[in-house]
Amino acid sequence: MTDRPAADREPGSYRDPSGFVFRRDGVLYRQVNARFSDDWNTFLLSGLHDELIQRGMLVADAPAPLDLAPEPDAVAVIRPEQIGFISYPYEWSFSQLKDAALLTLDVQAVAAEHGMTLRDASAFNVQFLGGKPILIDTLSFERQRTDEPWKPYRQFCEHFLAPLALMARRDGRLGLLLRTFLDGVPLDLASELLPRRTRWSPGMAAHLHLHARAQRRHADAPEAPARKVTMSEARRRALLDHLRRAVSGLHLPAHGTQWADYAGQTSYSAAGTASKEAIVRGMLEAIGGKRAWDVGANTGRYSAIVAEAGYEVLAIDGDWAAVERHYLALRAAGDTRIMPLLADLAAPSPGIGWGNAERQSLLDRADADVVVALALVHHLAIGRNVPLPMLSSLLARLAPNLVIEWVPKDDPMVQRLLAAREDIFPDYFLGGFRAAFERHFQIVSEQSIEDSGRVMFQMRRLPSSATSR
Amino acid sequence: MRLLLAYIDPGAGSLVIQAIIAAVVSIPFFFRNVIRNTVGRFRRGVRPSGEKAPAPDPE
Repeated sequence: MTDRPAADREPGSYRDPSGFVFRRDGVLYRQVNARFSDDWNTFLLSGLHDELIQRGMLVADAPAPLDLAPEPDAVAVIRPEQIGFISYPYEWSFSQLKDAALLTLDVQAVAAEHGMTLRDASAFNVQFLGGKPILIDTLSFERQRTDEPWKPYRQFCEHFLAPLALMARRDGRLGLLLRTFLDGVPLDLASELLPRRTRWSPGMAAHLHLHARAQRRHADAPEAPARKVTMSEARRRALLDHLRRAVSGLHLPAHGTQWADYAGQTSYSAAGTASKEAIVRGMLEAIGGKRAWDVGANTGRYSAIVAEAGYEVLAIDGDWAAVERHYLALRAAGDTRIMPLLADLAAPSPGIGWGNAERQSLLDRADADVVVALALVHHLAIGRNVPLPMLSSLLARLAPNLVIEWVPKDDPMVQRLLAAREDIFPDYFLGGFRAAFERHFQIVSEQSIEDSGRVMFQMRRLPSSATSR
Repeated sequence: MRLLLAYIDPGAGSLVIQAIIAAVVSIPFFFRNVIRNTVGRFRRGVRPSGEKAPAPDPE
């Protein structure tokens, strides 16, 4: 007991009494509690566990010694395969959330073939691994009783269908509601925000509008329904088929936003583009890391180059349409090295949930060897009024290496930002940039980009800045 | 024991409405499967009919 590293229970793993996730020495484990042992054994013996893993629908796991269990009452301990970067549903674009929803329904269908069912349908139980959604909660299964309704129905509607419908039928930015409503978008709110015409779509009418009304009616009469609700297997299948149709039928309207159209409008000539690509590739190869964060990735033009240089890439952008386009392009190409993520560096995802610790802030999940910040400085320094020393300090928190592009004030893209406003940025010049960044970094190399006034810098974080949190 | 494991609240209203919706949508679902299987039988060999139409709902 004493020579073992201490166990830390994951702060987000408290809802389900059947087990929990913990770490020892940085390694992730899951304890299975005795009260869950019948369902756990059925899950293993029915072949469902192996089939889901083999089909890439459930994260793989290995058995671990029982004495690693931090709490009494354990019947098993497993070591799930580690997911590189944990992302949250409010950091996904529409199609990422839609693919997670379809995965959940697929998993349910496979479970039903084995006489089992999902016990929950939380969007937080899905992560992206190698470009694909995958269920990470190995304890999500129980034996299906013949006449029971589908218990995760409400959660599925609140975590998946409601935000997807709001994004598709009202506005793509409404996915961010999941950041406020960690238990899913309340259906009365979804019903109120959705356009009236969605009442004529069978999926929206049934699972959102009528569902919201039924919830309201039963909230007024809090006693249990007089008769226990039962449902045959055929009806469960029909319900799940209908849910699948409702999800599959949702599509984003095909128009871009300012940013998603931005990739086509760079100020670079062909020679400038080639020069920039070569410089970026050279700097990344010189650093020789494994994980990169491409901040301000837009639709991922340079994320691809970062990936080609041998990195696993988290491609962060604050524009949902850009993230959506990037994800769709990667999915079509079967790319497994790049994960697009919706986040705004000027207001990154906060730590939220119980004790502000259940879902980690974006900065607390920093795990990269290098941050790539191309054509970003001016958007933050001028577009968002962030002083350069503050930008330098934030980037130093993210990773030990930095590849950053300096965009001078006379650049057409900067001039566009300044077109309608007063120039209140006297410190925005190359010397000011260099001074701000040398507070936290050592400049390893710098190269001018051909055919443009822009300069690429490769920097290494100063040892004194490594822990300046 | 059983109740302890159902750790999410399925919601009384959600249970009632899902039963009603399921009852309604099981009718077209049943006929779609009948049609699909019939068509499948005519086009023998085109698609292996692994999927059976669900038994008519006794309820």
